[in-house]
Amino acid sequence: MNAPEPLLRLSGINTFYGLIHILQDVEIEVGVGELVSLLGGNASGKSTTLKTILGIVRPRTGAVTFDGEDVTGRSTSHRIGRGMAIVPENRRLFGPMTVLENLEMGAYLNRDGTGRKADFERIYSLFPLVYERRSQLAGTLSGGEQQMVAMGRALMSHPKLLLMDEPSMGLAPVLVERSFEIIQQVHEAGVAMLVVEQNANMALSIADRGYVLSTGRVVLQGKASELIENEDLRKAYLGR
Amino acid sequence: MADEETRRERLEEGVPAASATAGPQIGVDEWVARSAERRGGRGGRLGVVEARLRTVPWWAWLTLFVAIVAALPVGFESGYVRRVAFDTVIFMLLALGLNVVVGWGGLLDLGYVAFYGVGAYTYAILSADRYDLHLPVFVSIPAAAVVGGLVGLLVGLPSRRLVGDYLAIVTLFFFQIFLTVSNNSDSIFGEDRAGGPNGILNVEPLSLFGRELPVSTEGIFNVAYLYVALAFFVVVFVALRLANASRTGRAWRSLREDPLAAELMGMPVNWLKLTAFAFGAAVAALTGTLVTALNGSVFPQTFEFPLLITVYTMVILGGAGSQAGVVIGAIGISVLLELLREPGDSRFLFYVLSVLALVGTLRFSRRLAIVLGGTLALGFVVHSLAGAIDGSWTAGAARDGGRLGEWATQWVVVPSSLASWVTPVSYIGLVAAVLTLTLLRGRLRLALLVPTLYLAAFVWENVMLAKPEPTRFVVLGAILIAVMVARPEGVLGEKRVEIV
Amino acid sequence: MDTFIQLTINGFTLGSVYALIALGYSLVYGILKLLNFAHGDVFMVGSFIGFGALQLLGGSTAPKVPTWLLLVLITLAAMAGCALLGVVIERFAYRPLRNAPRIAPLISALGVSFFLAYSMQLMFGSEQRDYDAFSLSGGALFFNGFDIGNVRVPLLRIVIVASAFALMIVLWLLVTRTRTGKAMRATSYDREAAAMMGIDVDRVIVFAFVLGSALAGAAGVMFALRAPTDVAIGFLAGLKGFTAAVIGGIGSIPGAMAGGLILGFAEAFTQGYISTRWSDLLVFVILIAFMLVRPQGLFGKPDIKKV
Ligand SMILES: Nc1ncnc2c1ncn2[C@@H]1O[C@H](COP(=O)(O)OP(=O)(O)OP(=O)(O)O)[C@@H](O)[C@H]1O
Ligand SMILES: [Mg+2]
Repeated sequence: MNAPEPLLRLSGINTFYGLIHILQDVEIEVGVGELVSLLGGNASGKSTTLKTILGIVRPRTGAVTFDGEDVTGRSTSHRIGRGMAIVPENRRLFGPMTVLENLEMGAYLNRDGTGRKADFERIYSLFPLVYERRSQLAGTLSGGEQQMVAMGRALMSHPKLLLMDEPSMGLAPVLVERSFEIIQQVHEAGVAMLVVEQNANMALSIADRGYVLSTGRVVLQGKASELIENEDLRKAYLGR
Repeated sequence: MADEETRRERLEEGVPAASATAGPQIGVDEWVARSAERRGGRGGRLGVVEARLRTVPWWAWLTLFVAIVAALPVGFESGYVRRVAFDTVIFMLLALGLNVVVGWGGLLDLGYVAFYGVGAYTYAILSADRYDLHLPVFVSIPAAAVVGGLVGLLVGLPSRRLVGDYLAIVTLFFFQIFLTVSNNSDSIFGEDRAGGPNGILNVEPLSLFGRELPVSTEGIFNVAYLYVALAFFVVVFVALRLANASRTGRAWRSLREDPLAAELMGMPVNWLKLTAFAFGAAVAALTGTLVTALNGSVFPQTFEFPLLITVYTMVILGGAGSQAGVVIGAIGISVLLELLREPGDSRFLFYVLSVLALVGTLRFSRRLAIVLGGTLALGFVVHSLAGAIDGSWTAGAARDGGRLGEWATQWVVVPSSLASWVTPVSYIGLVAAVLTLTLLRGRLRLALLVPTLYLAAFVWENVMLAKPEPTRFVVLGAILIAVMVARPEGVLGEKRVEIV
Repeated sequence: MDTFIQLTINGFTLGSVYALIALGYSLVYGILKLLNFAHGDVFMVGSFIGFGALQLLGGSTAPKVPTWLLLVLITLAAMAGCALLGVVIERFAYRPLRNAPRIAPLISALGVSFFLAYSMQLMFGSEQRDYDAFSLSGGALFFNGFDIGNVRVPLLRIVIVASAFALMIVLWLLVTRTRTGKAMRATSYDREAAAMMGIDVDRVIVFAFVLGSALAGAAGVMFALRAPTDVAIGFLAGLKGFTAAVIGGIGSIPGAMAGGLILGFAEAFTQGYISTRWSDLLVFVILIAFMLVRPQGLFGKPDIKKV
């Protein structure tokens, strides 16, 4: 095998919450600049996978390799400094802080603030709406606006790998489409992504590859175009 | 649903051991992650014994325990032992009551001691010469308990909608109000009607079946009081045990585990909190009557903050939630505090506990021999060096000597007079050394252990023995922190898995 | 009228000391949701460190440095010592319990409070320690000042109030303007999300303890400049500090300031017009009234439970 080293690799990951075994021998890879979607039903362990990647929870066994470095034992802030970023489930904006301050928090590890201005410009051109709302408290934004801010916040740090946890959750169909457009746009700019979705059809239509989790195990994986045709998957997630 | 079942299967398969992660991490719930080891019983021969012992019903233990305590006065003629036994039973009662609130209800009640005071004062008012009511004990004692319970309800009321911390504040303030009022009762109600800081004197002793129980006969503590206290203990123990097994008891448990879920499931959360409060308060008040009857007086100074911490330490050390645990905690702490009073006992306690703790952690290994030998050697070296430099450095006499004391001054440096900086420097140094020990592992830890032990002996001989009062409370505070950090379920507490 | 002005001055001085203590409670509560019962005792230790520093610098009667420098130095010493103490307390008594049930760190905090108070008694006895600020510069701190009507506002009071407010403004700027301050606010709102931004949550928590404890240290010195200190002052001062924090809305910085002042005035006026004996009781009654009517405090938002 002389395939290029993937950007992110989870190998043999087992994660527990107390006595409960959540992730079981999970193996996932995301290549440089690749868009991978992670599918699965409720409580299948998708969010846990993302938290394991970030080091918010620690796996009991297994390794997380990122950009050629074994980061299994490293802190969350180290990993983020190395080029990960996340749009968390439910956005998790800092409600009592302004939109601008939320964006600043996204660039927290950029200590000296070099190029901060250009970063803001970049985000504003991607999301003009965020510019309009920049001095509003994040907690008072609508769900759609919050989603924009959360994406903007994650992009502030120039991530190599962007993790997204259910970006379409709670959005009207128009907004869902809009956010997938943006995902594609960001992807085309060269950012690798791992997108967690319930909306499998949508997710697979833009992804390069996909993984399906069920009760903490990877039960299916492959090219997005193949997965979308898969009978089991269609039955389980795509509905009729 | 299917998920649920697979999860449960996995649960029963057993889990691989947790890999050691460095320090606590966000989201990595150590409490949860370590629940397996906390929940698991002991293995090996000891485990078998433990399992056997667990099958003995609780009432058998209770009977055995009561029989032993009741037999104490037979073995020990001295009034001192009887009095200490009585005080210990009082502490056991207080701990049982606090256990209802903290252990079962999961509420932080910082006004608990005030309820004890309410009972004591109620009994005093109903039975003191000053008020001339002289109600019979069969009325006054239950009345005091009821008053205590009602006041508990009242105090609990404003905390109805409040989360845990606020409850702590409200009860703490109630405690302060109680103290202010009882200390100033003379100026509120008039000096002819209340004693203020001078308390209430000439309270009648207990009288049973028309006969007064004298507090002491020929200066020796009347053992009847011990039996009365023991009877109270049995009644309270059994009553609480039944209450805990009832529907309310189960509801308390779910309230403690997850208040929010309990509320969502439609449990009368406020009412449950209030009953836990009231139960605890009533037990405390009941205990207050006994003490007042025995002392023949009641003073506001009895109900201060240190008493609250004492009872808390008993409950936490023994294991909040377990009746047997808190009783053991009460006995342990009560005896400990008693021993710390006298320099001779205190010294004995220190050396015995130090050696036991070493044996407990290092077992009978080579490391134990190294540490013990090293400490002894270090001591003799330091002692002879110090003596050679300046004779007065080792010329101090052992406080309340005894053979152990004489021996100790041959080993520990005890100057004839301490420079004023020595006390804070050595004490702070000791605290720093102990804290550092908790961070170290392996060889380094052993290496630091030796000087720490010697420093501890130095501080004990020179500082702690001279001031038993703060020493007792410093020790309580340290136990409280250490138990919370190292073993939050206490000696016999319910080991339980927390829901995150 | 004169009495009124006098009491207002007293209230202001007392209130700014309480406000400083309250800020420590608020900072820690904001992030850890922990009532740090030991905070009052950190304040007490601060007043002792100040006393020790004062003695090292020659005492009030024969100071080795000019008065203003003396005051600055002893305050800084107390702030630094308390900050260190705060870090140690956090590391050893609270951090291991970060994810334990809510009641566990509270009990640990009780233990720390008790341990500190009695350790101090063990080391230094329970005698009072008097800074004897009156002897500094021949009583200048008391005789100088400006007049409102017939009442002289002594320099000492002005210094205390001014420096307390200066510290609060510095804190306010730190929390609202700096990167670390913003990280603190983000962490107190959502710890996990803050970690997801790369914020080192442990460091932020330590920082909150450093700030809060340093303020308590400064408050300890200010308190002891106007009245003798002893090892037992921590309990009541701590109680009042957190009453102030609760009245203002725990977790809120302007709230802590407002709460501190309200409490200071209430106490000064009861002492002046009613009786010293009842001033503490009044404080508690105000608190309980607040908890019944507006449990979230003046500046707090109602507690929304996460379901
Ligand atoms: N902090 C926690 N403590 C204990 N169990 C947890 C914790 N967080 C998640 N779990 C459990 O882990 C399992 C997987 O959760 P996870 O959030 O990863 O699911 P998910 O696939 O993201 O689901 P969803 O699509 O609903 O977001 C669930 O059963 C959940 O209850
Ligand atoms: Mg999820």
